[in-house]
Amino acid sequence: MTDAGSDLLDRAPCGFVSFGDDGRICHVNTTLLDRLGYTRESLFGRHFETLLGVGSRIFYQTHFFPLLRLHGHAEEIFLLLRARDGEDVGMLCNALRRERDGAEVTDCVFLEVRERQKFEDALLEARRAAEEANKAKSTFLAVMSHELRTPLNAIGGYTQLIEMGIHGPVTDGQREALERITRSQRHLLRLINDVLNLARIEAGRVEYSIMPVPLQEIVEATLPMVEPQAAAKSQRIESAVPGGIHAAADREKLQQILLNLLTNAVKFTGEGGVIRVEGGERSPTEVYLRVTDTGKGIPADMLGRIFEPFVQVNTREAGSREGTGLGLAISRDLARGMNGNLTAASTPGVGSSFELALPRPKEN
Amino acid sequence: MKTDVLARNNVKVLGRGTRPMLFAHGFGCDQNMWRLVTGAFEDNYRIVLFDYVGSGKSDLAAYDAKKYATLDGYARDLLDVIHALDLHDITFVGHSVSSMIGVLAANEEPDRFAHLILIGPSPRYINEGAYVGGFERKDIEALFEMMDHNFIGWANFLAPAVMKNPDRPELTDELNASFCSTDPVIARRFAEATFLADNRADLGRVTTPSLILQCSDDMIAPDAVGEYVSAHMPNSTLRRMRATGHCPHMSHPEETVALIEEYLAPARAGT
Repeated sequence: MTDAGSDLLDRAPCGFVSFGDDGRICHVNTTLLDRLGYTRESLFGRHFETLLGVGSRIFYQTHFFPLLRLHGHAEEIFLLLRARDGEDVGMLCNALRRERDGAEVTDCVFLEVRERQKFEDALLEARRAAEEANKAKSTFLAVMSHELRTPLNAIGGYTQLIEMGIHGPVTDGQREALERITRSQRHLLRLINDVLNLARIEAGRVEYSIMPVPLQEIVEATLPMVEPQAAAKSQRIESAVPGGIHAAADREKLQQILLNLLTNAVKFTGEGGVIRVEGGERSPTEVYLRVTDTGKGIPADMLGRIFEPFVQVNTREAGSREGTGLGLAISRDLARGMNGNLTAASTPGVGSSFELALPRPKEN
Repeated sequence: MKTDVLARNNVKVLGRGTRPMLFAHGFGCDQNMWRLVTGAFEDNYRIVLFDYVGSGKSDLAAYDAKKYATLDGYARDLLDVIHALDLHDITFVGHSVSSMIGVLAANEEPDRFAHLILIGPSPRYINEGAYVGGFERKDIEALFEMMDHNFIGWANFLAPAVMKNPDRPELTDELNASFCSTDPVIARRFAEATFLADNRADLGRVTTPSLILQCSDDMIAPDAVGEYVSAHMPNSTLRRMRATGHCPHMSHPEETVALIEEYLAPARAGT
């Protein structure tokens, strides 16, 4: 480098360091020396890593160094440089590894980013606050749902008592009105239970009692719960789950997931459709249950979103938009809570398929 | 499903041998970090490479915060890859955190593994009582804080992918060739799973013979940690390297290959 060039580099308004492949510093400019309070002699030959704060050193070793070796360059890496007086100075680093005078050297340019660091701190703080708020929301939902359930149960109970004639004879007109009250009360209770369930899961307040559960038995116990609705739409339910296959799962929650998948299948499949339940071993460590229907299917753009809370696919088969759109969100959370997963595949016009994967029980 | 795992973890198989050698990358990078050493084993081994979910070209949609909150989730994925390819008699090569992920997997299904080669292993990064891990808790917290700041750096780095500039194809090429790319949110959580883990109790349960490669001046896994691992893991051989730093397979590939070959030579001669 010419004297003029070297002089320019020395006084550039940003820090500059070069180090060899052994990490030892071979060049450092005055700007950086002044900012960090070191003398040129004290840094020359020292390992570049020793200029970094501990957190930055870990980051250098695990990400920055591999990046430089594979890529030859790295941009906008935030590092804390340790000044002589112990102050950690936040700097953005751009680095380039190249051959010079027959050896590989890495040139790094450092720009102090005090203002940007402040903005980023504010952003991080905002994110933390948002996460707190989300947690507060879940707690609020859990408490509210619980508080709402008590009077709703009272409405249901007293309606039943009136219907039974405890408070005197009931006319036909009154009976019809009471039935409407009961229907609405049940609907509202279902919605609230869904919200409460999701809030509980989000707040991490669900306990799982994991044990070996025979898949065939669970399917046989669940199918009768949807058979009347399926029969009403002349749908056929086929089941092919061999005996002797067990999942490591919470029996009640497994049944809840399966019931949700079957209810959806019946709801979103038209008259005369076919719903199929299959199960088996997928690998030495995993078993699956799959519910396939011949419904309208889910458009590709919706497929990624159906597991989000409050998302529903609009189809004519589903009739009125009953429910909260929480069933699949709850089911997937429960599946994951049992170290499994719930995934969906669909071909519009052909049908949808939901697959629940669960771990196999460990032998002995 | 078999294919799901192979796509999820971006599994690559190469080499002309039949015995599997399975390479597992460390935190902060991806399978590309092995490219200077795999060539030496291609003649005699079936090389298997993969990316953890959230790293490299893995399927980000498969990320599950709960599953991957601890190293057990990563060990399950490692076993998934092993099952998907039905690997037996595996020579496992793990860098850094992958050493412990390999230990967890080998403890789960010891019959699958023939050798564990652990580069810079640490069962516990944080000092505790008489145990020297090399870091205080506040050091690890400083790393997390620094990674939070690199969110934005990372986002900038990844920006061209989002822009998909058709008139500047070099941007896309750059990205296709982008190594050690990591989803910043996932990387941050992976850092917590890695640096807050305590796998000391798992070492004693290992039955698979192992080689521990300990670098000189490794600030991530200092000498004392390598010695601890060796002392607590039955059937282990500790080799100190001339290589400095934490990534000898990248900085000193020849020495790394030579030590692995030397360790495996008796086993190879026996077949």
